[in-house]
Amino acid sequence: MSDPWQECMDYCVEVTKKAGQMIREALQEDIAVMQKSSPVDLVTETDQKVERLIIDSIKEKYPAHRFPFVSVSIGFTVKKEIEFGIVYSCIEDKMYTARKGKGAFCNGEPIKVSGQEDISQSLVLTEMNFHKDPGHFTTMLANVEKILTIPVHGIRSPGSAAVNMCLVACGSADAYYHMGIHCWDMAGGAALVTEAGGVIMDISGGPFDLMSRRLIVASSRAIARRVAKEITEFPVGRDDTDG
Amino acid sequence: MADPWQSAYDFAVQVARAAGAVIRKAGEDEIKVQTKSCAVDLVTQTDERVEKIIIGSLKEQFGDGSHCFIGEESVSNGQPCNLTDKPTWIIDPVDGTTNFVHGFPFVAVSIAFAVNKELEFGVVYSCLEDKMYKARKGMGAFCDDEQIQVSDVKDINKSIIISEHGTDRSIEKVTKIFSTMQKILRIPVHGLRGSGTAATNMCLVASGASEAFFEIGIHCWDIAAGVVIVREAGGIILDVDGGPFDLMSRRMMSANNDIIAKRIIKEIEIFEVLRDDAPVPSK
Repeated sequence: MSDPWQECMDYCVEVTKKAGQMIREALQEDIAVMQKSSPVDLVTETDQKVERLIIDSIKEKYPAHRFPFVSVSIGFTVKKEIEFGIVYSCIEDKMYTARKGKGAFCNGEPIKVSGQEDISQSLVLTEMNFHKDPGHFTTMLANVEKILTIPVHGIRSPGSAAVNMCLVACGSADAYYHMGIHCWDMAGGAALVTEAGGVIMDISGGPFDLMSRRLIVASSRAIARRVAKEITEFPVGRDDTDG
Repeated sequence: MADPWQSAYDFAVQVARAAGAVIRKAGEDEIKVQTKSCAVDLVTQTDERVEKIIIGSLKEQFGDGSHCFIGEESVSNGQPCNLTDKPTWIIDPVDGTTNFVHGFPFVAVSIAFAVNKELEFGVVYSCLEDKMYKARKGMGAFCDDEQIQVSDVKDINKSIIISEHGTDRSIEKVTKIFSTMQKILRIPVHGLRGSGTAATNMCLVASGASEAFFEIGIHCWDIAAGVVIVREAGGIILDVDGGPFDLMSRRMMSANNDIIAKRIIKEIEIFEVLRDDAPVPSK
């Protein structure tokens, strides 16, 4: 049997090349509009941002174990809008893709959220991590307990934020929430959930903020709001301000 | 000397695969859900149908009446759950019914076989992944055709631990479950995971994806096959208090080795559950 990590790495290289090609094509379209700005700088900044996303995703996902959810996640933004998202769940060999306005797919097949609106019939995903701050740690666990005892059908912890978002996008789960992840964990999946007909919002119930390090994705607004109601927030910093 | 249970083992693998195909097909249609002991303890017609198919096939093959059957849905419908010395099949037709209802990727058919109260072999077919986990006592553990082994991690700080919330939502039990999870996370470990099916969780330990899985409140049919698979993959099975494992106790710790098992056991807050072989109260 071939080494699954070698396949994952080979694929990451391919995806990186394709993303670079997409960036060049996108910029060729934009140059006509933005001739008076600094197109060379813009190209350079965008290349670095996308490369950083890809490299950091690979570093973060490099497995110490063989738990079956490991993914490569790539999100692409222009003017702060998410244009497309790719999440490759490499052990499962599932390629999730979504282009803004064009739907979401898993291995070429269209996917959509479950549409569930009743929290008591829902399956919720979240991850339980150790937090150094004892108050944050207690709050994190208390949130899980509050949601479990609504009651919901169950809570699952697959271990990968990007995969969790894909599981909501394809209807296998009805909500995923998390405080403390990063923009590179969320960017790829965000496009997938919205293109699959789901909702994405901030933990507070307000609009989603890619740099806020927190989110709720769900099959419906009703589920998302119900989850937001149970969650007590704690500070997690931001990706765009912390050093 | 020929293995007296080899043909039973081979037949169990075939039956599990056929049952898994029925589950996959049923998952494509709309699933009607009922509840058992509480609002989140789910059962479907597929659970009952698949159990009838499995037991029917086994009775047809081993039909002289000398074999006994313990199946989750039969017991729910009032059959006794006693393990005797007779050859006994212990069956969970759909482990992970909640996952099945939602289309969450882990649903397993679990078939175990015991003689003289000793577990002889176990088969767990993770049917949505199409992975056949199996183990015959003394012959190693396999996922499809590949031999599997538990991880060699001895450092608790480098471990992934699997734990589930279960379906009992009573305050006392939920409080203890979360208190245990908190203590384990504080050790700290690399992570806490949950696939939603005990049989699959045990296969994840057996294949080295996780270092330990424990639960209070599971049933004998959830774990019997997984016990053989973990042991044959080089792991150990204990009671959650560190004592010897008891199949009917509804409690279990499975781990890659003694060091990890005992470290986790230290953190477990135990609560009472009724044994699987407890007498059914008379009306």
